[in-house]
Amino acid sequence: MLQQAFTSSLELLINKTLSLNISNIELKKLEQKTLTVILSELNFPLSLSVDNGNVLISGLTERADCTIKTSINTLQKLKAEQQLTELIKQGKLDLSGDIKVAQQFASLAENLDIDWQSELATHIGDVPTHKLVQLGKMVTDKFQFAAKQIKADASEYIVHEKRLVVTRSQVDHFNQQVSQISNQVDDIALRIANLSQQ
Amino acid sequence: MPAQEQNQSPDSQNTTSDNTTHFGYKTIDKEDKVSMVAGVFHSVAKQYDVMNDLMSFGVHRLWKRFTIDASGVRPGNSVLDLAGGTGDLTAKFSQLVGKEGNVILADINSSMLNVGRDKLRDKGLVQNIKYVQANAQYLPFEDNTFDIVTIAFGLRNVTDKDMALRSIYRVLKPGGRLLVLEFSKPEHELLNKAYDFYSFNILPKIGELVAKDGDSYQYLAESIRMHPDQDTLKAMMDDAGFEQTSFKNLTGGVVALHKGYKF
Repeated sequence: MLQQAFTSSLELLINKTLSLNISNIELKKLEQKTLTVILSELNFPLSLSVDNGNVLISGLTERADCTIKTSINTLQKLKAEQQLTELIKQGKLDLSGDIKVAQQFASLAENLDIDWQSELATHIGDVPTHKLVQLGKMVTDKFQFAAKQIKADASEYIVHEKRLVVTRSQVDHFNQQVSQISNQVDDIALRIANLSQQ
Repeated sequence: MPAQEQNQSPDSQNTTSDNTTHFGYKTIDKEDKVSMVAGVFHSVAKQYDVMNDLMSFGVHRLWKRFTIDASGVRPGNSVLDLAGGTGDLTAKFSQLVGKEGNVILADINSSMLNVGRDKLRDKGLVQNIKYVQANAQYLPFEDNTFDIVTIAFGLRNVTDKDMALRSIYRVLKPGGRLLVLEFSKPEHELLNKAYDFYSFNILPKIGELVAKDGDSYQYLAESIRMHPDQDTLKAMMDDAGFEQTSFKNLTGGVVALHKGYKF
């Protein structure tokens, strides 16, 4: 029953997210349409249907207007609607049925626009939300700075102190020298061939 | 005839005579069971959903979702949600069959039906649902009417289960299927003991505290023990004419979903 627990939670999450959306999303086009997604990472299908503005998720495959077989990684790229045909060309996605249904679900995800600050403010108030967002931004900046610093220090340690790997410029220089030697060897070989003919 | 105050063990569940049946562990006259079960459900109707969540820790929602997934329902289907109570299955089926389909929520108990109707109307589910007060043994529908019939946590309260199964078979279309979601026998002895302790010691107390009706929940626990186990119910479905019958144990057999087709 893990499948049912998962689909139940996902259905709740999607409908809650849609209810928070502030941009104009046209769900009517998808009314009574079903998109079945078969992910390589999951051993059960996910069927998304729309009824009266609510998204329903089930394991029913009998009613699919469109079926997509793909992986979670590729699914993330699907958020951009125009990626759909490109991903099919690349063989990362199998699609059967009405492509318009898949495009409409993809555009649903693409057009989501949620004002998280405003939503949070309705629960905890304007001032705490402002402070919390500032704190979040500060923590994110600190983390980004720390991550950048750690990356630079680690690179310094590995390349210059431990000399475990060489730098990009050293690799380029080495490749250039190899090319020069290769050319010189070719020239000498040519000269030897000419001299031996004489 | 008044109920005979004779307690029975679950092992003697199939030994009633033609005129008697079980009401929990009591053996009673068949004609009294309908009114006695009705008394239980009139009493618990208003607290039914809250109690279901409390008693099953919310897992009943997953059992019902599993039933929906196993039903193979399609847009345009006709569905009968028998003993549908407060309409959990009906709500989902109504959304899945769409405008061309229809769902009938049927229950023998008017209180349960009223609670279910109010709940579904509050959710805005009105366009394709009908409500019928009906006894599962005498379904008031024409032959070959439904694509799917479900009965969730209702069959054990039916007086004559064989008759109800035959009645369901009659109203199913050829190719239609019956899904019976019902408490059953846990697969492991340890789980069985823990389940017994919970059912007879904790469950009636929760019933007393929340629904102010410990007796009804005592009946619930007893009726679960008196209900046929997985294999017996499957055999009963075979006898009623169903084909390709199978069952799937859920939560270690605490609940089982039986499925059978009419061809």
